[in-house]
Amino acid sequence: MIELKEAVTALVDNDVEFVLIGGVAITLHSSAYVTQDLDFCYSRTSANLVRLCAALQQFKPRARGLPAELPFIFDESTLRNGTNFTFSTTIGDIDLLAEVAGVGDYTVAKDKSVDFTIYDRIVKVLDLDALIASKQAANRTKDQLVLPELLALREALDPNSE
Amino acid sequence: MRTPEEKLLNPRPGSKIAEAKEFGIDLTLIVSALRKTPQQRIDDLQSVMRFFVELDKAREARVKAK
Repeated sequence: MIELKEAVTALVDNDVEFVLIGGVAITLHSSAYVTQDLDFCYSRTSANLVRLCAALQQFKPRARGLPAELPFIFDESTLRNGTNFTFSTTIGDIDLLAEVAGVGDYTVAKDKSVDFTIYDRIVKVLDLDALIASKQAANRTKDQLVLPELLALREALDPNSE
Repeated sequence: MRTPEEKLLNPRPGSKIAEAKEFGIDLTLIVSALRKTPQQRIDDLQSVMRFFVELDKAREARVKAK
């Protein structure tokens, strides 16, 4: 389980450039879908990697699934040498994606995001159309299961649907 | 023009909403979520997450006790 307040406030308060995607984004759009982790797309600029490290270091991220006896260093270099990461942290699982399937990188994701206010902070969240595109592109079983709800939600919110 | 809530509660045949209902989605949960603020939605999600953690703990305790 992820402690959402700690994660989101750390990211925003450290000026990390990110867009929420995945289950938490889906929930914010009014789906009843339940997730246990936090997924976000992040900017790969050097300055942002520094801010991302500053935000997450306190939660001691480790590559998820890595045996406990193996050392793991979380720093800017770690982030620079990869693109997508699945981390276990002291506040839960956090997944970082440089690119969202069916959408694109952070710049595109940011353009296809909407602002939500949570924990007294403004957070960018992938919009419903882009979330649907990402689920259609990923097309795993769990994506296929949530798609009917997202499509229904989009239709309900579309003033031109009827 | 019908509101999102009206569309969800009385889906037009052939619509994506009707498809979701046939798929097994409980549309009243979406209606309920739409009435909430983003903060309330996220708080609810966190509560459900905590509940699942408690369920897991209870299940593990029961397995150990056997």
